[in-house]
Amino acid sequence: MSNIEISYSKRSRRWQLTLTALIIALFVTVLASLNVGYAPISFSEILAALGKQIPFLNGSISSNSVSTVNQAIILDIRLPRILAGVIIGAALATAGVLYQGVFKNPMADPYVLGVSAGASLGAGIAIVFGSGLSVLGFPIVPTTAFAAALATVFVVYNISRIGSRVPEMTLLLSGIAITIFLSAVFQILQVLAPNAKLHALVFWLIGGITNVTWGDWWSIFPFIIVGIFLSYFFARDLNMIALGEDTAQHLGVNTERTKKILLTLGSMMTAAAVSISGLIGFVGLMIPHITRLVIGPDHRILLPASVIVGAIFLVSCDALARILTGAAELPVGVITALAGGPFFIFLLRRKKLSYRM
Amino acid sequence: MVTLSVNGVECRYGSMKVLSGIELEVRTGDFIGIIGPNGSGKTTLLRSISRVLKPHVGSILIDKADVYSLKPLEVAKKMAVVPQDSTVGFNFSVMDVVLMGRNPHLGRFQMETPKDVEVARKAMELTNTWYLADRSVHELSGGERQRVIFARALAQEPKILLLDEPMSHLDLINQLEIMDLVKGLCVKNGLSVLAVIHDLNMAARYCDMILMLKDGQVFALGKAEEVLTSENIRSVFAVDAIVRKNLVTNSLYVIPLSPKRNSCEKKGTVHMICGAGTGTLLMKALVDEGYNVTAGVLNLLDSDFEACELLKIAAVTEAPFSPISDKSHALNLEMLENASMVVVTAVPFGFGNLRNLEVAKEALKRGIPTYVIDDVPVEKRDFTNGEATRLILELKEMGAIFVKHPYDLPSLLNSSINTSTVPAEPTNLAGHLK
Repeated sequence: MSNIEISYSKRSRRWQLTLTALIIALFVTVLASLNVGYAPISFSEILAALGKQIPFLNGSISSNSVSTVNQAIILDIRLPRILAGVIIGAALATAGVLYQGVFKNPMADPYVLGVSAGASLGAGIAIVFGSGLSVLGFPIVPTTAFAAALATVFVVYNISRIGSRVPEMTLLLSGIAITIFLSAVFQILQVLAPNAKLHALVFWLIGGITNVTWGDWWSIFPFIIVGIFLSYFFARDLNMIALGEDTAQHLGVNTERTKKILLTLGSMMTAAAVSISGLIGFVGLMIPHITRLVIGPDHRILLPASVIVGAIFLVSCDALARILTGAAELPVGVITALAGGPFFIFLLRRKKLSYRM
Repeated sequence: MVTLSVNGVECRYGSMKVLSGIELEVRTGDFIGIIGPNGSGKTTLLRSISRVLKPHVGSILIDKADVYSLKPLEVAKKMAVVPQDSTVGFNFSVMDVVLMGRNPHLGRFQMETPKDVEVARKAMELTNTWYLADRSVHELSGGERQRVIFARALAQEPKILLLDEPMSHLDLINQLEIMDLVKGLCVKNGLSVLAVIHDLNMAARYCDMILMLKDGQVFALGKAEEVLTSENIRSVFAVDAIVRKNLVTNSLYVIPLSPKRNSCEKKGTVHMICGAGTGTLLMKALVDEGYNVTAGVLNLLDSDFEACELLKIAAVTEAPFSPISDKSHALNLEMLENASMVVVTAVPFGFGNLRNLEVAKEALKRGIPTYVIDDVPVEKRDFTNGEATRLILELKEMGAIFVKHPYDLPSLLNSSINTSTVPAEPTNLAGHLK
């Protein structure tokens, strides 16, 4: 057997190792991030507070190893916020992988495509006109955000499509146009909103993940976890789609159905994320890109790896926001935008020079 | 056993009918070529067979099962396609791409087994791409990438292979290697191949049958000899072509002449004294320029005679390998009646065709401008012990115009026509000046 054959026979083992390493890195990031904040809390207190929540283990931890106040800070303020970072980062990165794969275009991402703007308008409308209500048992904010995100991706896709191809020129332009249009509608919404609602709206819009509660967290967690798992069903199909839609069909992929399902899942995850955090830009663009550079384009590893890298990235950005400004906390979207803007331009330039699609 | 059958297929893009009434049967081991001009529906036919574009009317059956009632995966197990466009999004390695050909044979979460890697390796060795295995597809040249896509299709282990212009990016040696490979798979493994091919000679050489499409309909279907005729090529491609048999490959070959130009003005009649292929290009050029051309005397089966047939040029003929008879000579002289110019090409002269020079002499006597092409000196093509050389010199003395190169002739004739019409003007001008 040649080297290549050996390397391919060991591939799934290598992928398992990669994922294990990434999961460990995520745990470390979460723990380190719990340590970051206005109130100084030591690692031993953090571990004790967490340990108390684990059955069978809690008996061995003495009750005075962490103060009640610190325990409340860790469990009710920092932990939901960090875990929101985990699932929102994972959701946006997964959506990015799906959009880039379906559009066969590395510039696609929920923010660039206007899907985030659509979701935020949907969420905004729900906050102003119907907060507290529910649709068939689902919380109203993520649900309307999802409907609006889905409508947006449908519109952008059909505007930018030329035949069966989606050139980035039309994709980016229609994404920008839709984003601007939806932002204008959003501003009208802000003007029309009654004062009481306006406060909630602005608070949500710029809030990032600062004030996430356990209730918020549980309202979006099912959408995101289901989205990630269902996406993974289509990982190899995404590889085929990279060879062209007709070719994917020739290789046995039901291309049209797969595209519809994946765009729906991407929009669902984006909407879930946006309904809690407001707009967080560029995560879906950067994470799949960086992950692809390191571990290659095969979606069977790219997808799960991007999920974890996205989580690590957003949690780190949020921690950075807390470190940089102390008590006056920056929304996490500011940090991702500061990193993502230059990265986006870098990609455009590189594409201009050498990237061949 | 019928492997693939296309029954009365009609396809539309929107309201535009792109294909209609297509009937085709592909049996095990057949190699069928699809030819036709751009926009004649070749690619559309492949797309509809490959379960991408559902026909509006008609059906496509693989082993008696309708392709569109089968799942994509079931079709992919039997049929592979090499598309025209071989660009790959994202930076996959060559091995990754070829392994994707195994997709129809894998379960949804199943990883490729060593057996799949083995199949991929064999496909890559066949297409001479194994040495590229760990390279990125974005680093490859167009030809390399096309061979990789070919390997991917072979890794699918199909029974039917559809090729859409498989050679568009390949150089000569790679074209022949790929076509030999495909032909070999047809003969040895019973692979059925349906290939869109632009190169008519390649189609003639490799295909058992050729399907000729025009405006989305079957214009002709059959063996190369039946389909690739000058008449069919003219009707379908609007190009005059000479079709010959290649003695080395024992297949037909097609020599396209430049597309027919329709000149509206008739510039006069040129009578050609030629033979042995020395007049073919010139006759074509003169016809294109809008001249009426006649020729004589030519032996039947002479290649200039074949050109006359093709270009619909009236010619006086003589039996093969026979000297010019009195009757033919008389007919040739009769042709001078309508001639406004006579051209003598650099044809070799023997005693069989020497009398044609008498005709040129007669033309000069009647005052018809006569052009003699001597790009090959007459001494070198005189097989009459100096008789022909003497006659040519005589033509020169009588005022024949000697032309160094046949290419110069059409423009020379054109300018002679212009100068003959010009003199009217100076007189008018002179009249105005008075």
